[in-house]
Parts: sequence; structure tokens; C-alpha cells
Amino acid sequence: MSAHAKPVATQASPLLQVEGLSTWFPIKKGVFRKTVGHVRAVDGVDLTIEAGKTLALVGESGCGKTTVGRSILRLIPARAGRVLFEGTDLLALARDELHPYRRKLQIVFQDPMASLNPRLRVREIVSEGMRSFGIGASDAERGERVAALLERVKLDPRHMTRYPHEFSGGQRQRICIARALAVEPELLICDEAVSALDVSIQAQILNLLRDIQQELGLAYLFITHDLGVVRYLADRVAVMYLGRVVEHGDTEALMAAPQHPYTQALLAAVPTIDPTGARRVVPVLGDVPSPANPPAGCHFHTRCPKVFDRCRAETPPLYPVAHGDSRCFLSDPAR
Amino acid sequence: MPPLLTVSDLTTTFPSDGRRVPVVDHVSFTIERGEVFALVGESGCGKSMSALSLLRLVPKPGRIDAGSIVLEGRDVLALSVNEMRAVRGFDIAMIFQEPMTSLNPVVPCGAQVVEAIRLHEKVTKAAARERTVALFKRVGIPDPEQRFDAYPHQLSGGLKQRVMIAMALSTHPKLLIADEPTTALDVTIQAQILELLRDLRRDLGMTIILITHDLGVVSELADRVAVMYAGRIVETGRTRDVIDAPLHPYTRGLVRSIPARAPRGVRLHEIAGVVPPPTEWPDGCRFANRCPAVLAYCAERVPPVETRERDHQVWCHAVTAGLLP
Repeated sequence: MSAHAKPVATQASPLLQVEGLSTWFPIKKGVFRKTVGHVRAVDGVDLTIEAGKTLALVGESGCGKTTVGRSILRLIPARAGRVLFEGTDLLALARDELHPYRRKLQIVFQDPMASLNPRLRVREIVSEGMRSFGIGASDAERGERVAALLERVKLDPRHMTRYPHEFSGGQRQRICIARALAVEPELLICDEAVSALDVSIQAQILNLLRDIQQELGLAYLFITHDLGVVRYLADRVAVMYLGRVVEHGDTEALMAAPQHPYTQALLAAVPTIDPTGARRVVPVLGDVPSPANPPAGCHFHTRCPKVFDRCRAETPPLYPVAHGDSRCFLSDPAR
Repeated sequence: MPPLLTVSDLTTTFPSDGRRVPVVDHVSFTIERGEVFALVGESGCGKSMSALSLLRLVPKPGRIDAGSIVLEGRDVLALSVNEMRAVRGFDIAMIFQEPMTSLNPVVPCGAQVVEAIRLHEKVTKAAARERTVALFKRVGIPDPEQRFDAYPHQLSGGLKQRVMIAMALSTHPKLLIADEPTTALDVTIQAQILELLRDLRRDLGMTIILITHDLGVVSELADRVAVMYAGRIVETGRTRDVIDAPLHPYTRGLVRSIPARAPRGVRLHEIAGVVPPPTEWPDGCRFANRCPAVLAYCAERVPPVETRERDHQVWCHAVTAGLLP
């Protein structure tokens, strides 16, 4: 299986290229747990991340954004597609061949308390990855690196002998970031990394992530539901709805002129503090349909204010638009 | 007409190391009929505990130690347990952040609302059912007849919150307390629920206390707002005055740290440090150890109130001394 996984990178190839990624979860029923169908959590997603840049993956609960992140890292097995990291398809690698790539791709989760071992001290948490990848010759040397990393994420290095519960939520997230940075990754996946934090603490973490990116040239895949964070942080953005990317492109241009009705609704729904922001119309009606049984054609047609017959019957392809592409028949240049 | 609700010097404490630590500290506000008043602040600022105090639902070992809560001329803190039970749900109704934990998972949604109605009023089951279906329709639940028999787990988060709102409205309360009503919801569903609350206020003249951490939600819904920090109100006034021209350094920091408003590529404004735990709150201004405009005496002296135009009030030594514009 792994014989084909030879690097095919050229100078111009992006850091990460996801092609046709699909991750389905079986629905099992009955005594024999027979598979009766699939939840198409991720259904043919294409993404590109350039080195040192930030791609935001945005959408509401159940759209598949988290599954994309985990499928890229092979924390969840994908059903189909390719995940090319510097030209190597991670999905085609054997377990032992994957190991060196674990160092290059790291992840920071939403809930730092759930992702830090409560029985390990910060020093052990941060140095664990270094030991696994043979970074640092001795424990003393690794200890020095831990101190430097803690300082880098603005924690007191003297606190490395403490346990996670002795820190606040924001500080714990800093520990998670230090742990990820310890193995010198090239891509950091941030899965709702600032969503659970109060706004003043969120600002501290966003600034930290921004500083780290400028210093180390790290690329980010920023998975979030918060469009404010996307607008502030991301170079490019991909909007997901029920397992598919519905719109994708340069952040500023996309936010200024969203083409897909779902993106338009999502942007209009965000409460803003601007005096003009007080909306008087509801952007979209109804709930997101179940991903186990998505509507035919365009998945958004059941809630779309601009729906017409073709949307119910056919799945729109991604049409090129000014800032990127849009999966909506209204974006069809032939119209 | 006197205000619907007057809260004066409300102080709620919890025991710690042999003393009582105030988590709500001399909080005062008034609410007029038909207005939406927001209590906004970050985790642990005492906004939810203030709301629970209004209903006398402070979890033990906490208790209300001082202050008064006057609802339509009645002193809520002087009521008997039975009288208080009638106030809850009937005079003051509350909806919570997580509707799933507030609904009984083994009772159909409609029956739960019927129960709430019949607890407070002598009506037949059939009449209560009819009213419940009408309420479901009022709060925008599609197919209200079918949804009457649905169990909570069969409904989405947005629909469950609508059921909660229907239940809260079922006894025509004078005051609705909404504690982070949209925080657990997706942004498109959040917009729908905010719209519903706006409608209820417009059509029924509902008075609402909105508790939230989100200044965007405040901006869209509230007439007036009080910003809380570490158990105290630090600034209050009309929503537009407070958000567009904040006076307190904490409010200023809060508004400026919202990423949606920040220009790309520029560092976000940070409020240094973290909220200290209640046992370590300074005697004077609680924000003193994080404040960029701190003066020598801020940590020792409680700031006096400074009142500006349109009842825009702020508690800050630097503002009072004229050191902040």
C-alpha cells in the first residue's frame, strides 16, 4: 500500500493538499449490527493550505469540519480521497511510515482540560512528544526546551512542575500550544481552539497564535464556527455545509461579497455590536437536516431563500467566482 | 408607575476558609416594564448568580446576605417559601443556556408545558393542551400538534429552546430571565431565537433580563446594559452609549478585544492577566490589577459612581478624576 507513497512534491506544491476527502460513519441497526446506511460526515472535500498561511474551515455543528481535521491526521479513517502533505499521501502510508509526519502535523483541541493528562506535570506533558521523536539529547536538555516553550507561550517556566488543574482555561490552552510546538510542526490544526474562552482571554490566545505564525512560519488549519475569528485570522476560508465545501476563497473578498446563499445567511446571522448591525430579518429558517439523510441535490435547498427546481434535483459543482469558488447554480457563469 | 423590578445592594456570598466571600457584591439596578435589560460579563463575573438570586435559587452553601429585591412593590426576599414558589414561573420565568438539561427527558414536551400551566392555574387538561399548542405556534415550532407529543431528544437544540420559551411564557410572567439563551446554539439558529425574543417583546410587551457574555447579542436585543466584573456592576447605561462610548477601562477593553471588529493583520487588544478567584478580589476596584489606567489608590478604595448623560453610570477612579476622556 505504501509503495506508492513516494514524495511527488515540486517547488510550487502547497504544504497540504486535500483531494476528494470522504469520511463516512456506518449506521448500524439490529442484533447483528448490520450496516443500514452511512452518515456522510465528509463528502468529497478539497482543500489547499500554503506553507505559513491560515485556512479557516467554518460551519455549524454537524457540518463535518471537525471530521475533516481528524481525517487529515488519520485520527479517524477516511473512506476515500488523498491528503497530500508536501506531496506525500498520508492516507496511503503504513503506520510506521506515518510516524515522522505526526511530528509535522499537530492539533490543538477546543477543551484543553480534556486534552491534557491530569496526572502528568506540565513538564512531562510538553516533553512527551520530544522524547517520542528523539528531540533533545537528555532530560535536562528537554527541560530547558520546555522552559523556553513555556516562555514562548507566555507562561511562567517555574510552573512546569504544576498539574493542569492548577491553571486557568486560557493558560491550559497555552500549555496545549506549547506541547504542539515542542515537536516543531509545520502545520497546526486548531479545532475550535479559542471557542471555549472568554473574549478577553480569546484575544490573548489569538494574538499568541498570530505571533507564533509570524515567527515560525507555521501554517494553520483553523476549524471554527466563529466568523469573527475567521475574518481576523484567516488568509483563506472554506465554508462547509452538511459534509461539503459550499464556498471557498480569499477571506476578505469572500466576506465582502459572499456568493453562496448559505454563506450569506451565515454572515448575516452573526450578532454584531455595530449600531447598524441590528437585523430585523431572520437570515434562514429551519434547522440543519440530519447528515444521515441529507436532502437530494444541493444540501442547502431545504433552507435556501433562493431555491429553484434545479437545486432539488442536481448537485451543483464548484463554480469559479471572483474570490474562489461557490457550489451554487446561481454562480454558474453560463447562466 | 414605579419600575417593575428594583434591585438594591444585592449581595450573595459563599463560604470560604471560615468567611463569607461575596460573588455578587452590592449589585443595584431597576427594570422598567417592557424593556430588555442585559447583564453582560465574562465567566465568573456573577451575572448568572445575580439572576438566581432574583428567584432565590442560589445553590447552597451560597446565600443572599444583604440588599433588597422589590417586584411591583413586593419585597421578594421577605416572601414565605410558598409565596416564593408562586413567584417563580408565574411572576418571573427563566430560560437557561442548555435546554436539554432543563427539560425532563422522559416526558413529552407538550405535557411538560401543560404541567407548568396547571401548576399555576386551575384549568382543564384540554384547555391547557389547547393553550400549549397555541404557544408552540407562537414561538415558531413547526407542526405544533405533532411536536406536542415529541420527547425532548427528538427535537433539535433550537426547537428545545423554543419549547423552553413556550413553557416560560405559559403563565404570562411579568419578567422573563434569559440566561445565555443562544450560547449553545448555532449561529443561524441563534439568529432565529433572538428574532423570537424581539417579537415577544414587541408583541407582548415582555420585560426581559438577558444574561450573556456576548456584546453582539446585547447590541441586537437590549435597551440597557450593565457590565459586570468580579461580582460588581462597573458600568451601566443605554446599550448604544455603553458599547459605542464605553467609559470603564474594562468595558473599553472588552469592546476592543472582539476579533470581528479588529482590522486584519493588527494585534487584537488584550486585557492583560485573568479574572482573579473571588477569594483574591482586591478591596477597592476589582479591576485594579489588570487595569491599564490604574491609579495608586484603585486597589484600596471602592470607586464612587460617576453619572454622565442619559444615566450612563461608571464606577472608576480614573474616570472620576478626569484622567480618561
